[in-house]
Amino acid sequence: MSKTPRADLWFSLVIIALAVAVVIESWRMPRFANLGIHPMSVPGLTPGALGAALGILGMALFLRSLRGRKVATATDPTAAEGWLRLASTLAFCLLYAVGLLGWLPFWLATAIFVFAFVLAFTWRARAAVRAILTAGCLAIATSAAVTLLFERVFLVRLP
Amino acid sequence: MEELGLFLNAVAQQALPGNLFNVLWATLLGMTIGMLPGLTATLGIALLTTLTLRMGADEAIPVLICMYVGAIYGGSRTAILLNIPGTPANAASALDGFPLARAGKAGEAMGLATFGSFFGCLVGMLLLALIAPQLAEFGLRFQSYEFFWLAVFGVVISGRLTALDDPLKGWIAGFLGLLLAQVGQEGIHAYQRFSYGSVDLAGGFGLLPALVGAFGFAEILCVMKQPAYQAVRDVGGRILPRLRSLAARWWTILRSGVLGTGMGIIPGVGEDMGAWVSYAAARRASKRPESFGQGNKEGLLSAETGNNAAVPGAIIPVLTLAVPGSAPAAVLLAAFVIHGVRPGPLIMIESPTFVFQVAAMLFWASVALLILGLLLTKPMLFVLRVRREHLMPVIFVLCVVGAFAIASRVFDIWVMLGFGILGFVLRQMHYPMAPLVLGIVLGSILDKNFRRGMVLSDGSLEPFFTRPISAVLAALTLFTVLWGLAPVRKAIAARVRRSP
Repeated sequence: MSKTPRADLWFSLVIIALAVAVVIESWRMPRFANLGIHPMSVPGLTPGALGAALGILGMALFLRSLRGRKVATATDPTAAEGWLRLASTLAFCLLYAVGLLGWLPFWLATAIFVFAFVLAFTWRARAAVRAILTAGCLAIATSAAVTLLFERVFLVRLP
Repeated sequence: MEELGLFLNAVAQQALPGNLFNVLWATLLGMTIGMLPGLTATLGIALLTTLTLRMGADEAIPVLICMYVGAIYGGSRTAILLNIPGTPANAASALDGFPLARAGKAGEAMGLATFGSFFGCLVGMLLLALIAPQLAEFGLRFQSYEFFWLAVFGVVISGRLTALDDPLKGWIAGFLGLLLAQVGQEGIHAYQRFSYGSVDLAGGFGLLPALVGAFGFAEILCVMKQPAYQAVRDVGGRILPRLRSLAARWWTILRSGVLGTGMGIIPGVGEDMGAWVSYAAARRASKRPESFGQGNKEGLLSAETGNNAAVPGAIIPVLTLAVPGSAPAAVLLAAFVIHGVRPGPLIMIESPTFVFQVAAMLFWASVALLILGLLLTKPMLFVLRVRREHLMPVIFVLCVVGAFAIASRVFDIWVMLGFGILGFVLRQMHYPMAPLVLGIVLGSILDKNFRRGMVLSDGSLEPFFTRPISAVLAALTLFTVLWGLAPVRKAIAARVRRSP
């Protein structure tokens, strides 16, 4: 029995919708009949079959999650804190990868990201100077080391 | 005897100071990555692949193999000291390793894990040198029908074995992987599927950015969501296990080595199952099975021997069939291709000595593991004192650089982010990652061989079921599916109970 019946129900609907969309898109793919190619080599054949297979699996998950009872789970007092940490991590990472990179030079974007990330998660009002110094040192060290190591030593292009 | 000569020759050829230096640092780096909760062998190999892009194949491949071996071993430290598996492959090691540490025998447990990993790698290496040439020769009989079934069987068995309590989720992950692999230009008519005019999507999802996302970014999110782990200050006691005690357990080592390698060979199953199956076999064979899980040294030894033996095991199908035995092996397969090595059934014809070179690389990696593992037990505790808040932003920077560096495409960074979020969500819902990865790797093989087979048979499905190897693979796939269905298992069990 699944440990996450409600999530399974929603995810099964996503899977079924995806499978239906894939089958329709595969059907709409060109058959190249004018080029005289074999009808069994058309590009939509495999994705269509895979979409159908995924649809069957999604349906099985859907039916199972309908039968599944609600599992009573004890509330974890640290769960809300965990989700907050997760949301902050996601925000910092997306801001760096989608926002800062490309807009600022790599070394500067990296230094800002590492500094902000470390400071946000280690900030204590009583030890503010220490937190700022640690975050600053780590930011400079990471930015310098990654830039030098990848670009100069291993000759890899940086974003 | 010819094989032994080729192997010894390869061992001698690689015993150059520069090579050995690479072996030492790459194994140490692997151990460090394996020790850090949240960092896996898959991520380590993927990131190191970008660093070794400009190296020659003879330098880069040993480095990647050492990273692989080191990371799977390194995870045992965290399992023993923190009761948190450093990599998924070390989960079984925590069962007896942590109770041993609590009893003040952490040093001895780490020593035992080191020797277990060393011997496991050696047994796997020997089996690789013996089996790989035979399997490659057997693989020459494979045509489109067989490769199609191999891809289907790989995804089905991987989904079954990596999600033992819920195979449906394993299969969904696997088929999702196969479907994601269909995005981009297909290999027969060069038609751009699901790309909607986007040049980036026409290139498909790169395997390495996807893996860096699924195993790097997703892990960062998981680690940051969990409560922080406690730092360890001391290991206590002796580190070197008594030789007499090791010699008395030779059968456990051999059995776990063979079982681990066997599990490694099965597509997409990998090191964690290598450890669990070896652990279960050791428990079944023990005179005191009740002591397993309470600090039984044989339990720890079997798990660590099994997971490290699975490393050479997972490389065997990579070399001979171009099908990965595990998620880290999937990255290794991509790295082989990047460095100009063409794995597959033709490997013994095109590069007959390469299999033995890989065996020699595994030999040197296992030697480095033994030396570094025993010498650096206490200094390496420093790694476990690094706070996750300090480590994770650095890892994310490496994930971004690693995803971008392969093809210098910003799109690959987005792929990494997308697969990271998808991987995190799937993990939260208890979907295994290994079938997803295997699906992405096997998607192209399945597509091309299915359509080629259908063209060759003029639209008939008959050869897919009547050719001998195809029929066996089809039967195995069907058996795996039926075995995974709870009603079928219950019906068989009821029938067995009823029969006199």
